[in-house]
Amino acid sequence: MFFPKAMTEIELIVPSKDLLAVTKTLSGRGVFHQADSGYSGAGGESGANTWLEKTTAYAALERRIQVIMQVLNLDEGQPRSTNIEKMIEVEAVLPTLERIEQEVKSVSDQLAEERKRVEQLESVLRQLEPVADVDVDISPLRNSHYLFSMLGVIPVANVDRLQTSLARIPYVFLTLRSDPQKPVVWLAGTRSNSDVLERAARSAYLNPLTLPDGYEGSPAQIISSLRKTIENTQQSISQLKQELIRLGDLHKEQLLTLLWSIHTSRILSEAIVRFGRLRYTYLIVGWVPSDDLEILTQRLKLVSKEILIETLPTKRGGHNQNVPVALQDSKFLRPFQMLVTTYARPRYGELDPTWLIALTFPLLFGAMFGDIGQGLVLAGLGALMSSKKVKALRGMAGLGGLITICGLVATFFGFLYGSIFGFEDVELFGFRIHPLWISPIHNIMQILTVAVGAGIVLLTLGFLVGIFNAAMSRDLGHLFFGHNGIAGFTLYLSLLGAGGASFGILHIAPHIFIALAILSGAAVMFSEIFINLVEGHRPLIDGGVGTYIIQAVVELFEVVISFLSNTLSYVRVGAFAVAHGGLSAAIFILAELGSPAHGVVYWIVVALGNLFIIGFEGLIVGIQTMRLSYYEFFSKFFTGGGMRFESLTLNPVDDE
Amino acid sequence: MPPGGVSGYAAISARVRAMYSTALTAQDLTSLSGTSDFIALIGQLKSTVYGPYIESLKDKELTPRRAILQCKRRLADAYDSVIHMAPEHARPLLAQLYRYYEVDNLKAVLRGVVAGPSWNPDITLWDRVQDVLFPLGAMTVLPAQAMVESGSVVSAVELLKGTPYEETLSFAMKRYSAEQNLFSLEVALDLDYWRQLWREAKRLAGQDREQALRVIGSLIDMNNLMWAIRYRIYHQLSEEELINYTLPFGYHVRDEDIRAIAAGVDISSVVARVYPDVSNTNILLDNPQHGLPRLEVELKRFLMKRCVATFVGNPFHVGIPLAYLVLCDLEIQDLTVLIEAKSSQMPDEEFRSYLLKASLAKG
Repeated sequence: MFFPKAMTEIELIVPSKDLLAVTKTLSGRGVFHQADSGYSGAGGESGANTWLEKTTAYAALERRIQVIMQVLNLDEGQPRSTNIEKMIEVEAVLPTLERIEQEVKSVSDQLAEERKRVEQLESVLRQLEPVADVDVDISPLRNSHYLFSMLGVIPVANVDRLQTSLARIPYVFLTLRSDPQKPVVWLAGTRSNSDVLERAARSAYLNPLTLPDGYEGSPAQIISSLRKTIENTQQSISQLKQELIRLGDLHKEQLLTLLWSIHTSRILSEAIVRFGRLRYTYLIVGWVPSDDLEILTQRLKLVSKEILIETLPTKRGGHNQNVPVALQDSKFLRPFQMLVTTYARPRYGELDPTWLIALTFPLLFGAMFGDIGQGLVLAGLGALMSSKKVKALRGMAGLGGLITICGLVATFFGFLYGSIFGFEDVELFGFRIHPLWISPIHNIMQILTVAVGAGIVLLTLGFLVGIFNAAMSRDLGHLFFGHNGIAGFTLYLSLLGAGGASFGILHIAPHIFIALAILSGAAVMFSEIFINLVEGHRPLIDGGVGTYIIQAVVELFEVVISFLSNTLSYVRVGAFAVAHGGLSAAIFILAELGSPAHGVVYWIVVALGNLFIIGFEGLIVGIQTMRLSYYEFFSKFFTGGGMRFESLTLNPVDDE
Repeated sequence: MPPGGVSGYAAISARVRAMYSTALTAQDLTSLSGTSDFIALIGQLKSTVYGPYIESLKDKELTPRRAILQCKRRLADAYDSVIHMAPEHARPLLAQLYRYYEVDNLKAVLRGVVAGPSWNPDITLWDRVQDVLFPLGAMTVLPAQAMVESGSVVSAVELLKGTPYEETLSFAMKRYSAEQNLFSLEVALDLDYWRQLWREAKRLAGQDREQALRVIGSLIDMNNLMWAIRYRIYHQLSEEELINYTLPFGYHVRDEDIRAIAAGVDISSVVARVYPDVSNTNILLDNPQHGLPRLEVELKRFLMKRCVATFVGNPFHVGIPLAYLVLCDLEIQDLTVLIEAKSSQMPDEEFRSYLLKASLAKG
């Protein structure tokens, strides 16, 4: 519960004939984290290359099928249960795939061609529409002997410049249709100036209208013919779409079966690429959660009689950077695991702080947001999110559990503070709601002091866990002399003790704490030397002694300041509890202003105010809790940096 | 006082001045150009403000092209910083100025598509192209890799649907299809970019507008004039084409000047009117092959002086960030000259005259 799952390193030597069955067994259970053992053994390189080529071929086939399915608008759907006896032979499926691909491509190419044609015709149509009422046959303009004429579209920014460029020759320029981007224009001049006109039009990016062959007559006649052609082409497009639907229905099952079989083959061959190849056997290395080891080995022995299995349980102590980390499965802890892994993944030998955060996070949140009514609303909202019944909230389902627990703890604190929807000391269903403990807004100093006290407890807990982690990883230097080790912790406690004794809270002579603080401070100050000494690193200090001493003094100062700021940071827990009461009071004042007689307006303002508090303050309190957890608490003991356990899996529903 | 005024520009002005103080001095440039070779130059660059950018390159990755790319990252960071700090009303102008590099990237991508894959199968086309792209990060709308891998200019341009380039290129693509030459696409992109930049500058009011038109107008002057000269001398375009491929606005360059060049009048007389400080234009234009790059360097030095002058006087206007960004760009151009010269072991006398800032110090 307090550590990531125990792992066992597993090494398998598998005869070539059983390779596929063993790989399927390993990938089917979702409990095997593969390590790369694809070194070059006897004939290993050529073997690995063959599998690499197969992987590439499978990936290419998979992509081709996906493209076909995309054209046919087919959904890949959920992965299918694939119980393949042997890997797909690329050559065997290629003819079928090519046949389907050819059928689909021929129709989709025709469709693209027809769509492009419609686009072109519509473009010509748009340019002709402004001159539809000109009752002149415009086809002769194309081959006029004396007149140069050009109808087309031009970027609006180029119109003035075009006219400037034609200043030395006679010409006519008309804008037939104004458009903020693409006006339709007509440029005309004498045929003798056609070269100048053409160069000017081209350099001004005037794109001339080119009538498709076979369209003659007045603009109105051409427009009518164009519309008819567009209509026919649209019909042809509809038929081609129908044909694609038919092809989709016809080949759907075949494509899906091919897709998932090839997908499975690809995953398996990708795994095999990372196996070590010996002459007649394969070497497979990886990690299995110790709890699943027995079942896995039994299954492996069932599919391969000659398999050699060597297991090596992994100890928590020492350096375990290369051991994958799988966190404990627990529905209750899952939302809190999300909070932890957002910060970092614990290392294998490190205490998993999920259970700690599961205790402290809701407590801190609840203390800042304590209100019976608002807490219950929040808990209800969280439950709704978890249930995935509201479509809009489905994306946040993962947060549902966390919000529910935080809401319930806020309700508990609501009873302690005697607050329900901001009302304090009210009678509800015959019960008078009194604070079971204190009302924060009326006992500000008390709540702030308690908050700082809670902070000291949490930080102490953090120090202890940090010391435990350092001991577990045999990091003796940091254990004894680190800022968060025994020296740092002693310094923190002695500073607290000195403060307590000076203010008469502790009845112990302050100089005892001062002497302890000086000793532990010196240990922290010169921690680099001590750590290097313990770990055997030389030289003991980098650079000159003078520079080191200045640096050490500054670091000690920084450590003391950070102890102070970390502790005082918890004041915010009390401050937010007070602010929560203050904000509620402000809402009641607004409601009173709106309706002194406590009419409908009063209750509307109170309801809206409560919604605002739940949304706005809830969010802020959530962020503050996260800040306290990440920066004040985790920084004392949590290093993280563990490697994620990634199981070899064919697909989520597959079971061998 | 324009909108923004003292309150809007106090922070950005202070920040830009602080950033400006880290710019390479003429002495730095002289010292860098005195290094023995490319490796020595990179070694010395590491001790400048470009150090963190250069140091992120591993030794085996160090090529002139990548070194230039790293230097450009500093300019990209400067743009990011300035745009985020600028008052709301000035951001569109600064963002449009920044789009210059996106247009350049787009041109590079299209050229890459036309050039096609390398003879070396180990280097993909995208590998080659990405090294010359300005590092815009998330500030770009170009699906550059997909465009490069699309295989044709038509398919690449189709990927620009929904971007600000779609409309401009839809006109130019008709010409590209007929001519199979990127010239028409590149001119259309350039004209559209500068027109929009000018429009953004004119949208401002008061001193912002005045200063923006001064800096942006000077940039347009230089580009417009060089286009007109190149179109006439190199491309030998007709009058009407030259007019259509240039802009009718600027700070000092008037439309009549461009039209005069298009109509065939003596170019040096036009240059002398607009840039009285630039001497020997006649000599430079006698040998366009060498003369035009030299003329461009002269015009850039003039632009640099104008940008430096912006820092004098009232600091609460958009001219300061604009001028700083232009100066940063010119500094990168100097570094590009140096890196390329040192990597190709060019003698000092052949490249020193192309350095903008080092020569400015001498002058």
